[in-house]
Amino acid sequence: MNERQGFLDRHHFLLRRLHSLTGILPIGVFLIAHLTTNSSLAWGKYGLRAEGHGVPLVDGGVMYFNKEVAWINTQVPHLLLIEITLWASILFHSVLGVYYATTGRSNTARYPFQDNWRYTLQRISGYIGVAFIFYHVATLRWGWTFLVPGGTQWSHEFSASTLIAALQGSTGGWTPVGLAVSIAYFLGVSLLVFHFANGLWTAAITWGLTISQQAQRRWGVVCSAVGVGLMLAAWSALGAVFVGDYEAARAVEVRMLKDKYGEDHLNEVLEKQVPPHAAESQASVLSTD
Amino acid sequence: MSGAYAHEYNAETRRANRQRAKPGRSIILKIKRCDGPGKPSRWESFKVPVEPGSNVISCLKYIASHPVTTDGKRTTPVVWDSGCLEEVCGACTMVINGRVRQSCSCLIDEYAPDEGDTLTLEPMSKFPVIRDLWVDRERMFHALRRVKAWVPIDGTYNLGPGPKESPEHQQMRYALSECMTCGCCLEACPQYLQESDPEKWDTSFIGAAAINQVRLFNEHKTGKRLKADRLEALMGPGGITDCGNAQNCVKVCPKGIPLTESIAAVGRSTTVHAFTRFFKGR
Ligand code: SF4
Ligand code: SF4
Ligand code: FES
Repeated sequence: MNERQGFLDRHHFLLRRLHSLTGILPIGVFLIAHLTTNSSLAWGKYGLRAEGHGVPLVDGGVMYFNKEVAWINTQVPHLLLIEITLWASILFHSVLGVYYATTGRSNTARYPFQDNWRYTLQRISGYIGVAFIFYHVATLRWGWTFLVPGGTQWSHEFSASTLIAALQGSTGGWTPVGLAVSIAYFLGVSLLVFHFANGLWTAAITWGLTISQQAQRRWGVVCSAVGVGLMLAAWSALGAVFVGDYEAARAVEVRMLKDKYGEDHLNEVLEKQVPPHAAESQASVLSTD
Repeated sequence: MSGAYAHEYNAETRRANRQRAKPGRSIILKIKRCDGPGKPSRWESFKVPVEPGSNVISCLKYIASHPVTTDGKRTTPVVWDSGCLEEVCGACTMVINGRVRQSCSCLIDEYAPDEGDTLTLEPMSKFPVIRDLWVDRERMFHALRRVKAWVPIDGTYNLGPGPKESPEHQQMRYALSECMTCGCCLEACPQYLQESDPEKWDTSFIGAAAINQVRLFNEHKTGKRLKADRLEALMGPGGITDCGNAQNCVKVCPKGIPLTESIAAVGRSTTVHAFTRFFKGR
């Protein structure tokens, strides 16, 4: 028995339960907060109260979302600590999860029960989910713009417009690569919501909260409701991004910055922003040639 | 050997088949054969006449006295294991038409109602094959020892009257006690894989049957003296934590044992045990 096996074996139970726990806290709780924030792109107009009167639905979404993102980035204390805890938890949950998943052999062909499909899908959604989260965080949070079609750099001052450009593939509307990225987002987020809802259901068995079949069924209804709710939140956010327009969203954001900081600061922000998109700078290079 | 069999799992279909089955017909038994441990396996088919009420064992007995394949080739009799012939010992468990079950209680009328229908027999895949359809379930008995699935009384002195038991509790435990160590729950479990090296049996997944026995004996008034030992055994590698909640086990258990409830109940015990151990020490 090598050193690593020894460690894993000695703390087997603790690690397994921590794996289960981290999926709910902090990862699951964060997922709920994150998807709720995102969904405001769709319903934000109604969250604006008086400010939202007479504002078109799409602009209202951009305004509310932008406010929330600004709040998170400027008001939430210990943001970096929260982020690091989250990244560490996701890393822990993913590495152990993939390792645990390799201990099973799916057999849905012979035993095509619904629960058995759930079991298999939980593992598939885990694998794909890890890849998706990595792409998502690396591109939009760590700024690995070489992986973003059009090279868009996401920024929290222009949260909605840069998101639209990153998913549609350019600042000027849809591109084929953008379509691929958008499909990946749709699949990735849907699978992760399933993974969370199903994980919430099985965690109750693992920890021994739901024992009888009736209790497991009742908790299943609760978890399905959570899943459906989060699915709707995720899809509405994506829907808003898919129908969104880069220029229109950016105009709303510029207006908001101007209202908040005045003309001078606005120029500072605009200058500081990394030349936003390779596509645009390429275009200008071509035109000066 | 896959989803093609799905319709046969349905109890409705099986009942309907039984009603329309033609008497005096012959069916084909397609059997996965193997001459011994480590030997390659091969398929052989046999034509077998059936009567109403024939089951897989009676067909295997026919083959034992007429070991001739459908190609007219003379072969060795097919080997299988059985004991009670009434679905209480578990020895005759095999994979029939892709799904694990007892062969003694498997009525041909339900699975092959028409002339020339084929029934497929395979040994269980999670245990080492001894020969043909006969497998070695020793790992299951090892699992029972691993979790001390017994009541600790050595019989050397008088223990006095037994503890009182309510009828409800007795009913609950009775359902758990019906396990016949047949292995269906393990054959269907995606987390239970074949392990032919006995050295590894202490750390490879123990499976639903033994977890259920832990619940049974921990619920026993005298048996619970070993509760902590049993839980500790289940908290290590290959213990209850390795269950992936696919819940196939409960669907294939021929005794209808509420295995997933047992898994959750023992899960709760291990949670409580872990916290107690952390704060109180051993
Ligand atoms: S629990 Fe059921 S399926 Fe598993 S060994 Fe016992 S009787 Fe067989
Ligand atoms: S619930 Fe656990 S023991 Fe039962 S089949 Fe699934 S993984 Fe195996
Ligand atoms: S022979 Fe005992 S269960 Fe079939």
